Amino acid sequence: MDPVIQVRDLTKKYKDTTALDGISFDIERNSIYGFLGRNGAGKTTAMSILTAQNFATSGSVKVFGENPYENARVLNRMCFVRESQKYPDEANARVAFRSAAMFFPNWDQQLCEQLIDDFQLPLKTTIKKLSRGQLSAVGVIIGLASRAEITFFDEPYLGLDAVARQIFYDRLLEDYTEHPRTILLSSHLIDEIANLIERVLVIDKGRILMDSSAEEAREQATTVVGDAETVDAVVAGRDVLHREALGRVASVTFRGQLSGEERERVDAAGLELAPVPLQQLIVRLTQHESAAGATYETEGALR
Amino acid sequence: MTALAPTEPRKLGGRTLNVVRLQLINTQSFVWVPLIVLAGAVVISLVIISLIPGDDVKVVGAANAPLWYFAALGVQAMTLAFPFSQAMSITRREFYIGTLIMGAIGSAMMATIFIVLAGIEAVTDGFGMGGRIAYLPYLFEPGWVSAWLTYFAATMFLFVIGFWMATVWKRFGTLAVVSVGVALGLAVTAAIFVITKAGVWPEVITWFVNTGSFALTLGGLAVTAVLAVGAYATLRRATV
Repeated sequence: MDPVIQVRDLTKKYKDTTALDGISFDIERNSIYGFLGRNGAGKTTAMSILTAQNFATSGSVKVFGENPYENARVLNRMCFVRESQKYPDEANARVAFRSAAMFFPNWDQQLCEQLIDDFQLPLKTTIKKLSRGQLSAVGVIIGLASRAEITFFDEPYLGLDAVARQIFYDRLLEDYTEHPRTILLSSHLIDEIANLIERVLVIDKGRILMDSSAEEAREQATTVVGDAETVDAVVAGRDVLHREALGRVASVTFRGQLSGEERERVDAAGLELAPVPLQQLIVRLTQHESAAGATYETEGALR
Repeated sequence: MTALAPTEPRKLGGRTLNVVRLQLINTQSFVWVPLIVLAGAVVISLVIISLIPGDDVKVVGAANAPLWYFAALGVQAMTLAFPFSQAMSITRREFYIGTLIMGAIGSAMMATIFIVLAGIEAVTDGFGMGGRIAYLPYLFEPGWVSAWLTYFAATMFLFVIGFWMATVWKRFGTLAVVSVGVALGLAVTAAIFVITKAGVWPEVITWFVNTGSFALTLGGLAVTAVLAVGAYATLRRATV
């Protein structure tokens, strides 16, 4: 482990809500993180505090071993692309990139130009007149071309069409391969970025729900499909995350994996094992964790 | 594969100066709007002067309009540029100092324009009509350098007030800004009330005359410095 970010007991309270509830985690050097969670889970708050744009109520944050607050040496090496970033009123994209070139020491103008072409971004239109997708493209280009040692992308895809999103993922991976760095990517489109991310950090209601490598994450749960009674017998006593049934066929997702012997029995019984996509796993885990406290929410949704 | 080299620290000082360039992105509001306001104020003043009968010196102070615009500029320097400066990973201190430098540059520019205008008035005897727009007797009594400093101080004062109020708004919200405004209004009204009740207006005016514009300018600069410190204290924990 070679952490570039160390977070300990970080709590952030607003007037009547707790956005972050004593979370602790490390971010390893040169790795792409999926920073996942529902709206309001605390992702943006956490990233804001890590970049000293917001303040912790308690707890500590260390970036490159130092407190990032008012620390140009540290901030200099980070770039935070906000979903709702504001730009100077009269600025167009060209002006925004020129500013970024002044402040980010590793800025790559060639990469910037290539991305402008890729996203077909108009340079002379003032930013406030750009479409939502074009606005996102401005942020994505700044985040990639700044080539900061730690880059945060907060839902960078809003308004981008599928082609543009794929361009973003491809360019990110290409540039990351050539210039390894630490990237935190917050996203709701989990399946889209599943192949991109090396580590998964899931946050829910201000707490860390999962902090593991993407591979480990996928091994955390298993789905068995087949005859309902047989399936139920197999998963008896296990931590069931989700159960779906259609007629006599059931599909049950549970935490953990089957041993080799159990696999043979499942095969013999004519059941099928299905992989659990990352998105499914996270959705189920989040629902499972909050099931106890949120019964009334479900009822509310049904009404 | 080339790992990213940690950044050399030598560039850090330049970041503050780059904030000045960042602020100048809005050149329209920074250069052109004040100049247009000034030109408009001068033209209106000239028309008014030409309409006043008699051969006396005619003082029309309308030209201070662009100075007031600097309060709005101070607001914009905060609201329009601060969120972007945060995205550029600039510290609050760098942003603050860079913005003050830019405010000082703008104030020096305005002061110089006013001195040039005053020079024209002095040479042409107030555009041949005895008009006084920038060449105000009280300000120029202690000399031209003092007058330049007065224009500079007034502009900077308004800029810092605008910047601080916008920072208070960012950090504490609309209610706080309104409360401060109302409190200031009450204080001024109370002062006027006390002076009027005590019947000491002549003494107050005499004091202003005796103190002179140079000493008052220095006092104004000191107040501006205090306000600037307050603005920094507020900005230190302001969020986007």
